[in-house]
Amino acid sequence: MSDPWRSGPTAAERVAERLRLEPPWEVFAEEADRYEVYLNGTRVELVRGPIAIEGYGLRLLRPSSGKLATGFQASTNFSDAGIAEVIADAEAVLRHSEFPAAKAELPSGGGGSPSVQISDPKLWEDPARAVEEYVTELSNRFSGRTNVVLSFGAIRTTRVRTSLVNSSGLRRSYEHTLVSRELAIKASGGPEGSPAGEYWVDEGARRLETGSLGSEVDAWCRYAADARRAVAPPTGELAVVLPTTVLSGILPPVVGLRCSGVGRLRNLSPAIDSTIGSENLTIFDDQAYPWAQGSAPFDGEGTSAGRPTVIERGVLRGLLYDSLHAAAFGQRSTGNATRAGLAPREWLRFLHTPSSDVSTLVVPPGSGGSDEELIEQAGDGLWVQQLGWARPDPISGAFGGEIRIGYRIRHGKLAEPVRGGIVGGVAIAPQGAPSLLTRIAAVGARTELSESLASPACLVRPLTVAGN
Amino acid sequence: MRSLVDFEEGVEKVLSRLARKAAFADVLLQGGHGVTVRVDSKLFDVSAEPRLQGAVFRLWAGERWIEAASSDLTPTALERCAELLERGLGRVGGPGAAPGSASTVREERATSSARPLSEMAPESLLALAKEARGWGLSQPSIAEAQVRIFRSNDQRLYLNSAGARCLQTIDRAVFVVAPIAMENGKAETEPLVRGGEGGQELFGELTEENVLTAARRSKELLSAKSPPTGEMAVLLDPSVAGLFAHESFGHGTEADQFTRDRSYLKPLLGSEVGPPSLTIVDDGSYPNGWGTLFFDDEGHPGQKTKLVDAGRFTAALHDRETAAAFSTRATGNTRRSDFLSRAYVRMTNTYVEPGELSLDELVAETKNGVILERGTSGIEDPLGGQMQLKVKAGHLIENGKITDLVGSMALSGSVLKFLRAIRGVGVRGEFRIESGFCGKGHGDYIPVGSGGVYLLSQAVVGPA
Repeated sequence: MSDPWRSGPTAAERVAERLRLEPPWEVFAEEADRYEVYLNGTRVELVRGPIAIEGYGLRLLRPSSGKLATGFQASTNFSDAGIAEVIADAEAVLRHSEFPAAKAELPSGGGGSPSVQISDPKLWEDPARAVEEYVTELSNRFSGRTNVVLSFGAIRTTRVRTSLVNSSGLRRSYEHTLVSRELAIKASGGPEGSPAGEYWVDEGARRLETGSLGSEVDAWCRYAADARRAVAPPTGELAVVLPTTVLSGILPPVVGLRCSGVGRLRNLSPAIDSTIGSENLTIFDDQAYPWAQGSAPFDGEGTSAGRPTVIERGVLRGLLYDSLHAAAFGQRSTGNATRAGLAPREWLRFLHTPSSDVSTLVVPPGSGGSDEELIEQAGDGLWVQQLGWARPDPISGAFGGEIRIGYRIRHGKLAEPVRGGIVGGVAIAPQGAPSLLTRIAAVGARTELSESLASPACLVRPLTVAGN
Repeated sequence: MRSLVDFEEGVEKVLSRLARKAAFADVLLQGGHGVTVRVDSKLFDVSAEPRLQGAVFRLWAGERWIEAASSDLTPTALERCAELLERGLGRVGGPGAAPGSASTVREERATSSARPLSEMAPESLLALAKEARGWGLSQPSIAEAQVRIFRSNDQRLYLNSAGARCLQTIDRAVFVVAPIAMENGKAETEPLVRGGEGGQELFGELTEENVLTAARRSKELLSAKSPPTGEMAVLLDPSVAGLFAHESFGHGTEADQFTRDRSYLKPLLGSEVGPPSLTIVDDGSYPNGWGTLFFDDEGHPGQKTKLVDAGRFTAALHDRETAAAFSTRATGNTRRSDFLSRAYVRMTNTYVEPGELSLDELVAETKNGVILERGTSGIEDPLGGQMQLKVKAGHLIENGKITDLVGSMALSGSVLKFLRAIRGVGVRGEFRIESGFCGKGHGDYIPVGSGGVYLLSQAVVGPA
């Protein structure tokens, strides 16, 4: 990419060259600009951009009585005075911190990084135009449809140059693009006279793709129309098929805590080699999965991307670590240093100190066959297309949510749409106790990428459903 | 960190330049910082909250709003914002006044406290956190106690081409104490969470007694029964009633959803939706609320709006544009998460006002059902009018008596059916407001308060 938007020294380099600090230290920086278009129906109500931000986070590490003290501060002020203020802040908080590792080694940059597909060239070169063209195409896909409209839309894009410099001599950067689509599709009117139905799309990606838009809009319109005639599900223990879009709200947050250095430090991780899932389930973390939001050539500390195995045929084989949590247990970083906060703001990672979490979890295809074959194996049950918010409790592992749209499975075929009611249970449990992971009866053959998960649909037998 | 006022002259210059080209222009300068303390048995961590500052300019371009923002507040960067907006104006701009009335308020307001949060050094916060952790760990079966204390200072300066100048500085603090009970690989916690706008008095409820109660509840959850499943009588505690008022009902009253024809409540404005005992309020001026503000991000003062008054849906929440569309006044509910986010119609502190039934009377009235306690999250469904609320725990009600503790669960069903099935509203003695964060759709999280009193109705319950 040779776009003049970002050329010359990176933001991390601009800060690092002015630091006179005792090692180890690290500067992680991002330069981002964002373009957004908001739609009221197909009318543009707001155009935003550029929303320009550049900032950096400085982390200091110091040994302290056999433990490690860390100090972190982030800022958008690149002046000498601003940097001095950040150093003072980081030094001040460092005096009060204590992490249970004698020392941590920051990566020095030896070895190469994989080439990763994370930047949409069209979006990088002219984001305003790319968004405008996409919105036009999106609006066109709704024209001429009967009783279905786009009631709200937000297309948000960001191009980012991420850079990292540390006191071990590491100096790295990469460019990437981010996309978020939030769309509300409304079905109403028509002879049936029932209340309006909505299907809500909230997806993150790396590219603005128009090629698949036609089939996507067709499916969304169908879900919105089906929501109008949906009925509540039955109450009971049912076979449930969960597609990737639903699993991605459950597996990454649970695995990210329980199967990582963060969970182990708090005694929340299962023992290595314990059985926590069904034999059908294998999970690894692919830090360079093509077009995944969590992919990058290196992690939040500069460790090159890898593919650590987490669960193999139901057995916990390894945990995910950043440098600090790895050092606490005499382990090596698995390249899972992630920087994240409350909001879905993947372009403001400089605000956060690294911790250990998933990049992109991958569930390899299983022997469950196509979606139709999974449904056939379910026999009598539910296909849950969308849950309100699964939001697993990180401590207890409990998850659950309202069915926004799903389908009853009868005699091995999809039947009437369902809506309302709750599907829930425990996502991960101690060895010997039932959980979502142990009840995965079949893993399908067709992999999809959704947020931090690349997986086929899975048949879970049974799950508790609360409905009529 | 420089004060926002230091940048006012440069920003005002750009605003004047833009106002010459557009019918209306405004700018929000926003900055903030704070301190977070995290303590558990493994680590102490004090982190300084980011020193973020920036400005977002907005113009009415004839048929739509256009915006640009920058974290770089140097004159060159601000001029670049102006150039790009003028270019955007040239592409889509046309004549026509901006919709609605612009604020002309000129005022400066700041959090007032005899003991400001800013005078509380990180050492004091750390000492408080360590003491709270000690209280939690003193209970048997509590293997871990995580404590997080956060104090922040949010400063906003709003200027517009109609002459408004609103400077506000809001101090907020929240603490979370999570005693984690563990047994045979099972873990449970029921955290103590309190937050608000104000000074050091906000830590008044961080007491040994409250932490010990949270620890006992966490331990009890290890042996909680599975929650009941299916449709039944549900008694919502004040935290869950607040979640209902905010997530299930409140989001449908945000009038930007009215203009999109995306609210199940729009056709019901002025209609009876619940019993006469039910009143639901959004109050940006609520004293010391977590969602309290002096002005919204269009320069309108925070105010109290009765959404439901004695069972009747009486008002929606408005920004200047939706107020114009519905021939009413803006309600002080236009909020940006920060200078990087767009403005939406948002809630502030949303709650159910007290009714007339004591908890004992509500339990007796329930006869058989479940109490839902400690709301943890919810999600809106502004068009469909369905609800999803999740709670940490509950108790069964059998033959008019509170019996067994049950584990985490979710509540689902139609909001309108739930409202019409309300059989009782609790008394003032049980009233409380809790602190949380609200996302609108995809994100844009802002601090909001929600709460109220006990509420008895009917809904579907299941494990979650």
